[in-house]
Amino acid sequence: MSDAVLDKQVKTQKTRKRRVDPEIGVSLSWKTLKMQKQLIFMSVPIAIYLIIFNYAPIWGWLMAFQNYRPALPFGKQEWVGLQQFQFLFSDETFMMVLRNTIAMSFINLVLGTVTAIGLALLLNEIKAKFFKRIVQSISYLPHFLSWVIAAGIVATSLSIDDGIVNIILMKLHLIKEPIMWLSEGKYFWGIIGASNVWKEVGWGTIIYLAAITSIDPSLYEAASMDGAKRFQKMRYVTLPGIKATFVILLIMNIGHILDAGFELQYLLGNGLTVDWSQTIDIFVVKYGIAMGNYSLATAAGIFKTIVSVILVFIANYIAKRLGEERLV
Amino acid sequence: MHKTAKRSTRALAAGTFALALALTGCSSNNTNNANSNTANGGNASPAANAGNASPAANGDDNAPVTFSVFLASPGQTPTEDNKILKLIKEKTGVSFKTELLVGDLQQKLGVMIAGGDYPDIMSGDDKLLNAKAYIPLEDLIEKYAPNLKKHYAAVWNQIKDETDGHIYVLPSYGVYQGKITEPTYQGPGFWLQKAVLEEMGYPTPKTLDEYFDIIAKYKAKHPDMIGFESLNFDWRVFPLQNAPEHLAGHPNDGGVIVDNNKAQIFADKDISKTYYKKLNEINAQGLMDKEAFVQNYDQYLAKIASGKVIGMFDQHWNFQDGETSLISQGKIENTYIGFPLLYPGAEEWYRDRGAVGTNRGLGISINAKDPVRIIKFLDQMITEDWQKTLQWGIKGEDYEVKEDGMFYRTPEQRANADQTSWQLANKITTMFGYMPKIQGTYSDGNAADAGTQPQEFFDSLKPYDQKILKAYNKKTWSEFFKEPKENYIYFPAYSIVLKDGSAAKLAQSKLNDLQVKYLPKAIMASPDEFEGVWQDYVDRIHKLDIKAYEDRINEGIQQRIENWSVK
Repeated sequence: MSDAVLDKQVKTQKTRKRRVDPEIGVSLSWKTLKMQKQLIFMSVPIAIYLIIFNYAPIWGWLMAFQNYRPALPFGKQEWVGLQQFQFLFSDETFMMVLRNTIAMSFINLVLGTVTAIGLALLLNEIKAKFFKRIVQSISYLPHFLSWVIAAGIVATSLSIDDGIVNIILMKLHLIKEPIMWLSEGKYFWGIIGASNVWKEVGWGTIIYLAAITSIDPSLYEAASMDGAKRFQKMRYVTLPGIKATFVILLIMNIGHILDAGFELQYLLGNGLTVDWSQTIDIFVVKYGIAMGNYSLATAAGIFKTIVSVILVFIANYIAKRLGEERLV
Repeated sequence: MHKTAKRSTRALAAGTFALALALTGCSSNNTNNANSNTANGGNASPAANAGNASPAANGDDNAPVTFSVFLASPGQTPTEDNKILKLIKEKTGVSFKTELLVGDLQQKLGVMIAGGDYPDIMSGDDKLLNAKAYIPLEDLIEKYAPNLKKHYAAVWNQIKDETDGHIYVLPSYGVYQGKITEPTYQGPGFWLQKAVLEEMGYPTPKTLDEYFDIIAKYKAKHPDMIGFESLNFDWRVFPLQNAPEHLAGHPNDGGVIVDNNKAQIFADKDISKTYYKKLNEINAQGLMDKEAFVQNYDQYLAKIASGKVIGMFDQHWNFQDGETSLISQGKIENTYIGFPLLYPGAEEWYRDRGAVGTNRGLGISINAKDPVRIIKFLDQMITEDWQKTLQWGIKGEDYEVKEDGMFYRTPEQRANADQTSWQLANKITTMFGYMPKIQGTYSDGNAADAGTQPQEFFDSLKPYDQKILKAYNKKTWSEFFKEPKENYIYFPAYSIVLKDGSAAKLAQSKLNDLQVKYLPKAIMASPDEFEGVWQDYVDRIHKLDIKAYEDRINEGIQQRIENWSVK
């Protein structure tokens, strides 16, 4: 650590004379620009692409401050200030969907990460290549199903008629009569979390497995020399080895904390569980898009974006303070 | 070596630059298009423009042309060499590029509206109406479409848009001529399986008690069966929500009942409470399907198709796919007959005279290049000859004519007509569903289509169905219901447009949310908890701005009484 700091200091001292930006490490003179014109030219299309598809649409955010009516020219739209936001935050349903979104997202995040890392650790220990491949293939195949199909499978296996979950629980004498899993709000978050794990665990594992393969084998050898056993090697070599990957992924996922999903909740939710199943996205579709209230939908979208950006920066800052890898 | 490298980088740079230009160029083009669309949409009289801009108006009427069409229903596209499409192309030069609905309608419409990206012809929709995506048609009809003018003459005022008095959409259903024959009943009812009725000695239930008594007795003998089924999914919530208004003797007005031209919601009234309390009781007896309120539409249909459901309240068209499946499995005895149950003292009004679906049909979009040609085409299609072709098929191939001039089908032709694959090659079912059509009878006395020709209907039935009908001493399924009364002028109230984003629409939406949530709760509660849940539900309804909703409906009713009356 101190070496790195020293390095940096030396660099800044050196560069001060050459008027180099310490962060980028390159002088920002016309001369360098000219020298790197190929690079600059190559980045132009990307920049234009970003401007057109990622920045120009921000213009549409103005909709959130209007009572937007489609097909009316811009000048004729009615401006309503923060009314849409006021409606959002004064609506008790919105507070409920916000709670649901964050809760389900959090469950997905924790369960998803823990199971993915767990599976990656276990798979890494398996020496039989063939078996390892089969496990991996089986675990990531559900990722390629659409949620519509996946929700059908989930609903069928939870059915009281001949759903596999109820059958197994009955056979194990854990329950006396079939439970209507989808009719009780208290089960809903758990079902969503479990479904997500089932569908995505194999996919999430891939990146951790990749990170594990990049760990220097000599570390394991050294650990063995020091007398480390299997679990100790996992604990003291593998886990720290994938810490950077974990932190980066965590920061990125925290940006999506308000995207708890739409399809699964929409397809599995029903009148009885609506208080637990409705997410922001469903709310936006129901009260925004479906009712032609595009302004409200935009306002909710802006809210989501702003919260996400703030969360990412907070996570990033914490990671920086803890001396971890970080995104920005 | 050095030189070539330099040249290639230069080429690369030039290439990227060109790409960048192309990208920006494209985007500005698109904006221009969008602008011109919106400008056109804002224009009050695009019909006039359309008239001028149409080259075919004075040219060859049968020149080949292709119309792009969007239909808001999922379905299967007719085959490439579809018989009818071929004939249309041959006789009129018109062919279609049809887009059927895939996925969610609202989402699709949102995308269409946002991009101003409309095909020439679109099925009618409130959302598209609000976005001013259609051109007014009345001038075009007056000028170019005498047959359509004649067809819609009786409802001319009624099919005008309530907000600005233009005709945007040509309704597909509800315009009758001649005699109304309707052997199959598509509307709401309390349904029971034919096998159940047969075993119980052909009873005719008249009240809720008699109806559930039949179910209870049958289920006692056949415990595997599902007693009473319902559905509470997505927009298909009417099987759960609509029964009270029918039980109380009102026609299907949607979320409101209307007395003396005054509408009010019935969700919180006693007629509702009585019904849901009854459902609560039968749920306690184990007659209600436990999964009824957590299942989706596909699961609902699958249950019906399994033949295990004894009865349900629903509109026939809503579960018909399940019945179709039963028939194709050869389980005709598991299909259903509907009964009009009533509260004591109520007068039956289940069957209604289908009102003109004012915004269900076809409209011409503001993007259409040649509206005159389209309206001329539709005008041709409403002539009796074409209608017979579209509805019955081709004489000698799809139907025969008796000596007295009546149409009939041979058993083989009937069998064909039931097959989906045959339909795809020989009919244009989905598209025709949205086209203006003759209902009732033609001038030669034949019914509009094979399904409504009474003798043809009875003959087409399987022997089992004929036996059941004979046992009840009836000839058609709709005879289980009383002849419909004359419609009120405003009928039906559910088609009154609630403006997007208005307080009325919000209240309606919130009311629906409450019903979706609380009705299952109330039904599944233990009987002694029912009162509490119901009270909670009613209290919450009263917190909503129900008045805005009712006021808007009443306003619509008054407008209709003023504007639709035949003067």
